[in-house]
Amino acid sequence: MSENKIKNIESIYENAHKRLFFRKRTFCPLSEPDAPKIDYKNVNLLGRYISERGRILPSRISSISAKKQKELRLSIKRARILALLPFVKQ
Amino acid sequence: MSLYESTFILRQDISVTEVNKVIESLSTTIKDNEGKVLKHEYWGLKSLSYPIKKNKKGHYVMLILDAPHRAMLDLQRKIKLSEDVIRNLTLKIESFDKKDSIMMSADNEK
Repeated sequence: MSENKIKNIESIYENAHKRLFFRKRTFCPLSEPDAPKIDYKNVNLLGRYISERGRILPSRISSISAKKQKELRLSIKRARILALLPFVKQ
Repeated sequence: MSLYESTFILRQDISVTEVNKVIESLSTTIKDNEGKVLKHEYWGLKSLSYPIKKNKKGHYVMLILDAPHRAMLDLQRKIKLSEDVIRNLTLKIESFDKKDSIMMSADNEK
């Protein structure tokens, strides 16, 4: 019995430790199964991933997966060529 | 033969009928070279994010083409000569949606 108790206490400590260093799990919003397709025509979607000055947001801020960030980057550049998105704002 | 998606921006001060005329002439270039125009979309007069050749707005037209390489070369040559087409983007694509693209449904106006 006492051994069990000790184990319980240990597990509590372990959990406490985990909670202390708990980080919010990040996930890629564009990798979900029902996520919209990244395309240069979808300006509303691309507009969410550019900064106020018109720069592409880094993936560490938007938490986009590397694969999707690559697609996003290409699409934004294409949209810029067609003047759907700005190269720079002001 | 391969699939292409070609989007054009035309000058702001021409009318819609003139836009159709320009697109018609571009389509005939494709057809003359044994290509096909599979889809034709007119996105309307949209404001540009930055001025192109002193235009603040432009007519957007997208074509889906199934054409051989030489037809695309001919098309590019025509576009470069044309005064009305101020910008174009041609991409090779694997497949395309028969339905209207997102530009036709949602209002992407800013």
